Amino acid sequence: MMFMKGFLLGIASGGVCLAYCAPVLVPYLLGEGKTIRGNVASISTFLGGRLAGYLLFAVLAWATHFAVVKHLPYQRTVGGSVTIGLALLLIVYGFAGSGQRCNAIPATAGVPCLPPRGRAWLPRACAGVSMAPGAAMLGFLTGVNVCPPFLLAFSDAAQFPRLGQSLLFFTAFFLGTSAYLAPLPLVGMVGRRESIRTIGRLAAGIVGLFCLYSGIVDVAAGMR
Amino acid sequence: MTDNNGKVRRLLTAVLLTVPILLLMRMMITQGQPLPKDALHRIPPIVAYVVTVSFFFLIVYTGRTHRYRSILFVTYAVCFVIVFIPNLLETQGSMAITQAEMAQGHTPFCHMVIPMVIIPAALSRTIIFPGSMLEGFAPIATMLVLWLGVSITIGRGWCSWGCFYGGFDEGFSKIGRKPIIRNISRKWAYLPFAVLLAIVLTSAASLTPTYCGWLCPFKTVTEYAAITSTTTLIQAVIFVSLFTALVVVLPILTKRRTQCGLFCPMGAFQSFTNKLNIFDIRIDQDKCVQCGRCENTCPTFSIDRETIRKGRTRMTCTKCGRCVEECPRHAVSYHIKGTPVGVRPQVARMMFVYPAFLLLGTIGGSMISGATYRILLLIRTGSLLG
Repeated sequence: MMFMKGFLLGIASGGVCLAYCAPVLVPYLLGEGKTIRGNVASISTFLGGRLAGYLLFAVLAWATHFAVVKHLPYQRTVGGSVTIGLALLLIVYGFAGSGQRCNAIPATAGVPCLPPRGRAWLPRACAGVSMAPGAAMLGFLTGVNVCPPFLLAFSDAAQFPRLGQSLLFFTAFFLGTSAYLAPLPLVGMVGRRESIRTIGRLAAGIVGLFCLYSGIVDVAAGMR
Repeated sequence: MTDNNGKVRRLLTAVLLTVPILLLMRMMITQGQPLPKDALHRIPPIVAYVVTVSFFFLIVYTGRTHRYRSILFVTYAVCFVIVFIPNLLETQGSMAITQAEMAQGHTPFCHMVIPMVIIPAALSRTIIFPGSMLEGFAPIATMLVLWLGVSITIGRGWCSWGCFYGGFDEGFSKIGRKPIIRNISRKWAYLPFAVLLAIVLTSAASLTPTYCGWLCPFKTVTEYAAITSTTTLIQAVIFVSLFTALVVVLPILTKRRTQCGLFCPMGAFQSFTNKLNIFDIRIDQDKCVQCGRCENTCPTFSIDRETIRKGRTRMTCTKCGRCVEECPRHAVSYHIKGTPVGVRPQVARMMFVYPAFLLLGTIGGSMISGATYRILLLIRTGSLLG
């Protein structure tokens, strides 16, 4: 019953989740320029990160009984800070000539992004590390962003007396919302040309600028 | 004697080719109505008619499409401002639109919004723009139909023959003799597509036209949200800065249309329509000597070494005719898809110029007429407002 409730809530509000995630995910997928199969792997990793974010909030919901997000200023400060982090990742990815791939570590492993100058300071073993933000990290940061459907889930989960119930509810909610992200690997159909990758990366940078502004506004509003 | 015969023949041909435009422009400018009796309303359409028809004749007679298109295009942009701003002041009292006025749905619809409304319209059957569907100045339905017709007919030719903003950076790009900034990374030619992708996604997410709210530089010369908060103040700083940089400073420094070629998402969107219509620009490989003049002068960065090798332009070409005029070997020409390259290029040029000029002449003519009226009003009453 609880699982179904979470799942149905996810299905009902997943369109909004897609609207929030697509501006981050679509430019990222284009920027990586992978095939459909490669995109499936990226999105799976993204969803893994997102699930981790959801479960973290499931624990918080259970532990604090909604106290974390109950007070709007606090919620906006946390949410804004997360958005700023996400924005910085996207901006560096978009504008710092990123996208070089690592031979040893796949880009989807959640490797932090680094500008070219920063890369030079790395130990030799890490010199080839991808500057692309990991799909897992993007998933985590979008997962812990407090969007309207997420607030709905959070307020429901806060009512559960046991941690297991809260985790189960958030997992079901995650599965429901994830259904809407299923078509996104088809982005790989547009091709793997360098021009498409450049457009994807630049678009990620522009979305990052939008995120940066809204993050700063949220933090400022929260601190007021 | 032969020379004189040639000139007379060329003149007669140009006059004959101008006759259809002579008739069509009369209908378009007067809208089939008899001319008003009073001078204030009678002179403007006559001026517009004479100017537009003269420019068409010059395009045909001299064979210089770009030169005369460009002068008319820039004039049209200037006239647009002379018409639009007083109109706003008369109807709203200010260029700044309040939230209440937006809620009433009186904001004129602009073609820049088109890429942003498609996904939300498909998903929620809502046009995310505070304009009217059928009523008022520039209603949504009229603009959409106009854009669709133009896109099918001339594709991204819209940007050099119809867009009332393009003339601004084209005008500023004429200032100065030589470009100060020459080498621009090809990477930036993809930026309009990235802006397009970003605004389409963020508009769908926020259900607001994000480009209009945040980025459109042309709010500087049209209408903008009244500055009543920190957000609207930041938005104003952004659009004025973008206008200064992309429409004024960079065109002067590069002698290119930087707003159109490096930023405009509508231009990027319009590029896809180049695939639909029958006209394009082609480079005759047999004549081309790879001098690179077309590459160095293309206002919208639509030609590079790779495209020259392929004998065509990038899909971002606005068909302005600059490269056709600049080529010292006449290797670049207007072309109808499916026909051999370089064979009877003048026929392809005229086939393109008719619909393209009809667009420029009709919208530009109405702006010239409107601007003439405002200037006469200024002379007579001391004010641009009626």
